[in-house]
Order: sequence, then structure tokens, then C-alpha cells
Amino acid sequence: MLIQSILIIAFGGAFLTYILGKASSALRDFLAVLISVSLTVLIFLAYGKTGEIAFASFMNLPLVLRINHLSWFFAIAIQTVTTLSVIFSLSYMKGKERVDFYYLMMLLCNSAMLGIVLSGDFVSFYIFWEIMSWSAFLLISYNRGGALYAGMKYIVMSIIGSMCMLIGIMSLYSTYGTLNIREIHDLISTASGEYLLFISILFLAAFGVKSALWPIHVWLPPAHSEAPSPFSAVLSSILIKMGIYGFVLILYVISGAALYLGLGGGSFRYILTLLAAITIIIPTFNALMQDDAKRLLAWSSIAQIGYIILGISIGTSLGLIGGLFHFFNHVAFKALLFLAVGAIEYRTGTRDLNSLGGLIKKMPVTFIAVLAGTFGLIGIPLTNGFVSKWLIYKTLILNNHPFLAFAALVGTWGTILYSYKLIHNIFLGQLPENLEHTKPAPASMKLPFIILSVVIVLFGILPGIPLKLINLITASLGFDLLNINIWGIASESGPLNIINIFAAFAVALIVVWFFFLISGKKVVISQDNSYAAGIDVPKGKYHYTVDFYNPMFRMIKPYFRDYMDEFYSQLVKALASLSDRVRRLYCGDLGVYVIYIVLFLSILVISKIGLNLW
Amino acid sequence: MVNPILLIIAPLSAAFIIPLMGYGLKRIVKFIPPLVMGFNLVVSLSLAPKVIKNPIIVFLGGFPPPFGINLYVGPLGILFSCVISLVGFIVSIYALNYIKQGAEQKYHALYLLLLTGATGIVLTGDIFNLFVFYEILCISSYALVGYTGEKAGIESASKYLIQGSLGSSLILIAIALLYGKFGTLNMADMASRIDSVHTMELFFPLVLFITGMGVESAIFPLNAWLPDAHSSAPSTISAILSGIAIKIGIYALCRVIFTIFGATDILQFLMLLGLVTLLVGEFSAFSQDNIKRMLAYSSTGQIGLIVFAMGVGTQYGISGGLFQFTTHALSKSLLFLTTGYMIYRAGSMKISALEGMGKKMPLTSVAFTIGAFSLIGLPPFIGFPSKFMIVYSVLARQSGLYIVFLALVLAGTVIEGAYFFKVIQAIYFKGERKDDRAKEAPLSALIPVIILVLLIIGIGIYPKVLTSILDSSAAELLDRIGYIKEALK
Repeated sequence: MLIQSILIIAFGGAFLTYILGKASSALRDFLAVLISVSLTVLIFLAYGKTGEIAFASFMNLPLVLRINHLSWFFAIAIQTVTTLSVIFSLSYMKGKERVDFYYLMMLLCNSAMLGIVLSGDFVSFYIFWEIMSWSAFLLISYNRGGALYAGMKYIVMSIIGSMCMLIGIMSLYSTYGTLNIREIHDLISTASGEYLLFISILFLAAFGVKSALWPIHVWLPPAHSEAPSPFSAVLSSILIKMGIYGFVLILYVISGAALYLGLGGGSFRYILTLLAAITIIIPTFNALMQDDAKRLLAWSSIAQIGYIILGISIGTSLGLIGGLFHFFNHVAFKALLFLAVGAIEYRTGTRDLNSLGGLIKKMPVTFIAVLAGTFGLIGIPLTNGFVSKWLIYKTLILNNHPFLAFAALVGTWGTILYSYKLIHNIFLGQLPENLEHTKPAPASMKLPFIILSVVIVLFGILPGIPLKLINLITASLGFDLLNINIWGIASESGPLNIINIFAAFAVALIVVWFFFLISGKKVVISQDNSYAAGIDVPKGKYHYTVDFYNPMFRMIKPYFRDYMDEFYSQLVKALASLSDRVRRLYCGDLGVYVIYIVLFLSILVISKIGLNLW
Repeated sequence: MVNPILLIIAPLSAAFIIPLMGYGLKRIVKFIPPLVMGFNLVVSLSLAPKVIKNPIIVFLGGFPPPFGINLYVGPLGILFSCVISLVGFIVSIYALNYIKQGAEQKYHALYLLLLTGATGIVLTGDIFNLFVFYEILCISSYALVGYTGEKAGIESASKYLIQGSLGSSLILIAIALLYGKFGTLNMADMASRIDSVHTMELFFPLVLFITGMGVESAIFPLNAWLPDAHSSAPSTISAILSGIAIKIGIYALCRVIFTIFGATDILQFLMLLGLVTLLVGEFSAFSQDNIKRMLAYSSTGQIGLIVFAMGVGTQYGISGGLFQFTTHALSKSLLFLTTGYMIYRAGSMKISALEGMGKKMPLTSVAFTIGAFSLIGLPPFIGFPSKFMIVYSVLARQSGLYIVFLALVLAGTVIEGAYFFKVIQAIYFKGERKDDRAKEAPLSALIPVIILVLLIIGIGIYPKVLTSILDSSAAELLDRIGYIKEALK
């Protein structure tokens, strides 16, 4: 009953918000927040519940909702981010056009995502999946201009993915006669290896598009940067994770670890880990080269997806835990970063990293938020990102994958560089004259910042809280329970204990502070003095942050063009010219048309008389 | 029990009364089509439950077949007649205000004649009778395409006329050949004497039938008349041509292939034909900047999908094809009706001229979006269950070749999605519209649109309302022996 009421409230609330918006915008805002918050509470209450319930039937197939630890874990992440984004939107969307529509699509997309993780059979999964896809498309296109192209790119790739999934689902149905996930899991152990591989590749394409796995990632950077910022947060932290959920579903819930590891003689896993490693490296450096803050974060999302898939695809308990935990952490810090950049765009009107700077004093809370977010992103100890990355590294090393571990390491170096670029170009350095009157972020934006920052630090210091749940999830997928305490993991192959790290950190901090004190003889040299030999430089025209990392770019740029994107563009061009040629078959000349008819008839007759085909 | 013959007689007699009413009762002429079609809808729906159990055979003139003409009112016929009268009813309400200029009475008379022809084709059990109704359908559509008297309309109508007549004459030759061989015109009687199509004297009529009926049902490469005709006709006519007329061609084709000839050997060829039609249609639609031409090409794509599903030839495949027929009848007429007033307000058929309509005509735009989503096959709209059935039926054949076919069909869907989403973006997210001319469509246009939207969402969520009639219709097509037995009882 609880699951049904969650979905009914979610979908009903979305439409109710829209209708109410026609009457009063204040009431609409209130209702949107109320629905999101009450959904969060409801989902929170559902913790620990497991169960399955058939709620309707479609084409003689029962539609089933089910809840277990895995779906609860994803559901709470979805709902938290949406709730915070809705709260953020209160001031962000004020005075914009079509706000009713915005809230409708935001809540509809949220409901569909909840539906995805709560569905217990593939028909409802597919239905919710498609609702999510088109509602996201409508929101990505919302900003007009460049957003239209981004939206098209997204929806076309998304449809290609869902068509693959449709074939996969219907093939499962025609083979096993059921689409219930649990029943398929019981039946699939009898499947032949080739069939399993066929199905897995179809689902890999579908979920790979959604989670932006390289080389089918190209929709993500434009879509995430062009969407309205609160929705970018939802897109980047949650929507693409539906692909991750799909991977977990198909690899572990349906196939199970043993079948997955044996898929195609192990080559399926090998290719997946390789793709994940590429997904880490290339997008990381692409992120480094971006001057648009949201585009930088978008590329960074792809790279982080690489980490998550890398963790999941190894196929061990520790890896899966690391991947799932990194998913959760990425939800927190990427939502935080997108919202923070949204707040900056809201106050300054730009997200161009070359024209921002020095905002630390103007928007201190936002600065703290970005700091927490980037720390998590890099994986600095005492933030949650550290723990999950540590688990993933550990998995890679324990399973003898030094090259993959190295790829992950390179990715982290890149992450440090682009995170620094982000924080420096926005908050440090010199404040452009036109931004001198920037106001701090409004309260409705600060609230999500604070909550998410607390989550990042809290789960960094006490990783045991989420890890206990994740441990239960992996146990339900057939792995052994690991020994987890509130501070970390006590495994045979080397424990993780945050207390020790905490202590080491504290000591290091004291030492650094001590040296800072005894050597602290700083000389203040004004900027005008140090530069250009005392010649006066007009402050407004000279800007530190332009062309950040320029020498490095000159070095790496030729290697990190988005070749896949160019390839797809060529493909689309070729298709467009093909379609134009096909259209010319209808030339407008009646004589030709009549010849078509006669020709068709003669070919049929000849095929009988001459070739005897029938 | 209502006599099903009323389904044909009512619109036919109304069509001839309309010109008479022109003397004095001009104002109420336009209310006759909705009235008659509403009546037809009620009769069809009331017959449906009985017909699903047992087909009704009506002897015209009291002679049993093979001597007299009979009506065979089976589930398939009733399914088609329900959709015909439903779409006919909805479009005629829309026409109340939309058709203002030109020869109004002739429009309404021809409109009813067209629907008479369509209903007659799906109910008759006699091949020559079918041909007569087929000609009624075709001739009234030629006239309706050119009825506004504009140059483009006349030109495409005459092109349509020439190609259509070519097709009709092929059908006539085929019927003559069969009549010469068997001495009967009753479909069931004919079917009972055909057991193989491999001899030349039977294969040739079959090929003539396929080519002839292929013209009206817009199978590639016989569909060259369609984009011109559908795009230059007024939107109500485009809706009825795309939603009904071409599907009647498919009905006739299936009747001939499945029931008369039992030619299951050529089903794979039918599938291939459907696939090519689909891909050519979608590709052509992709590069259009004229919204009505785009919709017209998309119709050929959808026809391809229906033919493809029919070619699968299993119970499930044919049900899926018939479901897709219903989907397309509802969705495409919705699309043509919504674009009707958009074009009227914008004054141009260019897609770029529709920019910013989302704000000026909100309801119409939402309806257009729903129609487009439904055609692409997105849930929770009616297009999803039908696509679902087709995909399942193909995969259930468990053949590698069919999976390749299916992948190509779905590639067509992707292209379809691309061009529809482009239009949706143009309507909602492109351009600002400052002019005051663009305002919401009048109520008489909104009511039919809303009915269609409700049907599309309703059936999309609860497809079970259709499954029983679809299943028995598919069974009727596949069960040739049963058809013969029932008709010649």
C-alpha cells in the first residue's frame, strides 16, 4: 500500500501542482514543496520494508511494484535531490516563463524515476522509463536557444537506447513468458550463453546511453549545461543514475554475479571495465578544457559515472559496495555543485568561468558549498568521496587490475585540476568590476547547500551509516556480508578506519599550522606593483582567470577533441542527405509516378514468370 | 437487433438528401454528417459484442450467396466500421466551423459518400460489391482533395485521380479474371475454390490486386499521390484520408490476401514491402519543412508499419497491426485536426511559421504533442501498446532475420521521433509570437480534439477495451475456413 501511495502522490501531485499554478503561483510553490517533502518522509518511512504488489495489468501482463533495500536506496536519493532542487527552484524560477509547466515536468520526471526503481517488472519499468525520457526532454529544451539542439540530441539518443531496451524486454518476454524481474531471475540460469550475451548487449546500449557511458555519452554535456540549473542537478545526480540502476538490475538482480562474470567467457566484463576506464579518462580532460561552469560539471559527471561503473563492473562485493557508495556520493556532491553554479548564475547572470572571479566575499555560503562539493568530488579524506574512491581503488588493486587503477588515478589528478579551476575562477582571484554589487544567494538556495554539504562531510566521517545499508543490498544480491562498523570497513585485506585518518589529518593540520606560524612573515605586494614593472594596469580589462591552464591545453587539446561527437554529427549529416535523396523519389512528375506503378506490377510478374520466385 | 445494412444506407441516403436540402435548408446541412456518423457509431458499437461471438450475415435482396450479394459483418468489419464512424463523427464536428468557404453542401455530401464507401468495403462479402464501394470511396476522395478549387488542390487531385484510376482498373481486371475462372463473385465462394496461388492464372490476379489496392493503401512505390493529395486538401479531409481512406486499402488488401487467396507464402514479401514503405516514408518526412507534407509522409511510414505487422502473419502480429491501425486513425486525425487551426492562424504550412504557438494556442499544442507522442509509441498513450504488440509478435517468431527487420522498423521509429520532437520544440520553445491573430481554436474544433486526446490516453492506459475485438478480428482473418463456412452456411 505504501508504495502505491508514494506513486499516486507523486503523479497526482505533479498534475495538481500544474492545475493549482493556473490559480496562484504562491500556492503552487507551496504545494510543490509540500509534495516533495511528504514524499521524502514517506519514502523514509518505507526503510527496511520489502514486498511486491501487483497493481494493474497491461496487455495481460501484471504490472508489479516492489520495494527492497536496493530500490529504497535509489528512491531516497532521487527524492532528496528532487526535494532540494524544488526548494532551490523557488527563487531560481521566480518570474520566469511557464513556471507551472516547469514544476509539472520536474515532478513528473521525479515520479517516473521513483516508478523505475519501484517497479518489479519490465513493462512498468519501460513505461516509467519512457515517461522519464520525454519529460526530461521537455525540460532540457526549456531554455530555448542552444537548449533546443541539446534536447534533440538527448531525445534521439534516448529513443535509440529505449528501442534497444524494448527489443531486449520483448525478447525476454517471448522466451520466458513473464516479465516479472524476480521470475526472470529464477528462469535465466537456464539460458544459453549467447542469448544472455545478446540480451546484455541490448540492455548495455539502453543503460549506457542513459548513464552516458563512453562512446554514447555525447548527449550529456549540452543537455546538462543547457537545462535550467535545478533540473541540471536532477539530471546529473539522479537521472543518469537510472542507467546505473539498470546496470545493477541487469547484471546482478537478473543475471547474478556468477552468470555475469561468465558472460561471453568473461569478455563482457572485460569490455565493460575498459569502457568505464575510458569513460573516466577522456571526459575528465574534456572537463578541464571547458570555460562554461555547467559544461565543466557535466563532463565531470560522465567521468564520475566511469568510476561508478568501474566499481560495479568488477563483480566483487567490495567493488559493488564502492560503486554503489560512489553513486550515492556523486548524487550529493554533483547536485550541490550544479545548484551552487545555478546560484552563481542567478546572481551574476553568467556561468562563464572567464568572466567570474573573487566572489568568495560576496557569496560565502555558496563558496563553502562549492568547496565541500569539490572536496567530495576529488575524494579528499573526511569527505564521502574519499571513502567510495578508496573502496574502488582497493577493489582494483585486490583484483589485480593495476592499469584500471592507474586510469582511476589519472582521473583523480584531472579532477583535482578542474575542481581547482572551478573554485578559483569563480571565487578566488580578482572581482570583476561589474560583479561588485553581487548579493549572496537567497535563503531557499542556501538550505539545499547546507543540507548537502552536511551529507558530504557526515558520510565522510561516518561512512558506516550508508555502508551498512549498501552491505545489505549486496548481501541480497548474493554476496557475503562484510564486517562494517560506523567508522568504516574491517576487512581481512586491510581495514578502512576513518578515525585513524581523522587523527592523521588533525596532526598534519597542526604541523602545517605550526610552520605557518613560525615562518609567517608575509610581504604584501600590490598587484599593480608586481606586474608590468609598475606600469598601471586597468583592473577591469585584465583578468587572471582567462585562459586558465593555457599551456596545458595547447599540449592536450588535439588529443581530447570529442571525436565521438564529431563522428555522430557526420552520421546525422549523412542520414539527412540520404533522407533528402529519398524524398526526391517523389519528384512531382505524374509520368514517373505511373511508371512506378507499372514497374512494380511488372517486377512482380517477372519474379513469377522469369525467376519463378514464388 | 439492428440491421447492419443501416450502416451503409444511412450515410448513403443522407449524402443524396444533402443536395436536395440545399433548396431552403442550407443552414442545417452541416449538422447532418455528425448526426449520421453518430448514428453509425452507436449502431456499430451496439453490434460489436454480438459480432465478436458470431458474425452476422445479411443477404441483400433475399438471395443466399453465391447467387446474391451478402454482407459479412464479422469482428474485423465491425472494428473498422467503429473506427470509421468514430473518426468520421469527430472530424465532422470539427468541420462545422472549419469548412466555411467553397461548395459547402458538396463537401458534406462527398464526405458522407466517402464514409459510405469505406463502410461498404469493410462490410461486404462480395468482391464486385467491394469494388463498387471502393470506387465510391476513391472518387469522392479525388473530388474532396480538389474541392477548394485552388491550383495546388486541383493539380494533386488530378494526379491522384490518374494514379487511383490506374489502380482501380487493375483491380477490375483481377476481378474479371477471377470471375472468368470461377463464375462467382462471392468472396467466400471464390475462396472455397482457391487452394493454391502458385498457378499463373491465380497468381496474376493476386499480383493485380496487390498493385491496384496498393495504390489506395499507399504502399511504396505506389504511394506517390499521397503527399500531394494529403497536404493540399483541407485539414479535415487530410484527417479522414490519412486516418481512414488509406487504411481501407489495407483492409481490402488483407481480405484478398488472407481470405480469398489464403496466400500465406507471400507474407514475408508483405513484410518487406511494409518495411521499405516505412523507411521511405520516415526518411521523406524527416527532411520536410511543410508540416502537412511531413504528416502525410509520416502516414506512409505508419502504413508501412501496419503492413509489416500484417506480414508477420501470426494471431498476435495481425492484432498488433489492427491495433496500430486504430492508433494511427486516432493519432493522425488528431494531428491533422490540431494543425488545421494552427495553419489557419499562422497563415502558412511551414513548420517555422508555427513557432511560438504553444503559448497562443495552448490546448491545441498540447493535443498535437500528445498525438505525436502517441505515434512515436511513447507510454502512456495508445501508440505504446500497439507498438508493444508488434514488437512482441515479431520476436515471438524467434528468427534472426525478423530481428534484423525489427531493428530497421525501430530505426524508423527513431527517425519519426526526431522529426516530431523537432516540431514540438518549434511549437513550444522557439520564437516569440507577437501577432494577435493567433488565438485558441474555436470550441467546435476543441471538442473533437479533446475527445481524441481522451481516447488516446484512455486506451493507452487501459488497452484491454480493444483486445477482445482485436483478437477475434485477427482470428477472422487467419481462419479462412471459418469465414467460408459462416458465409456459405
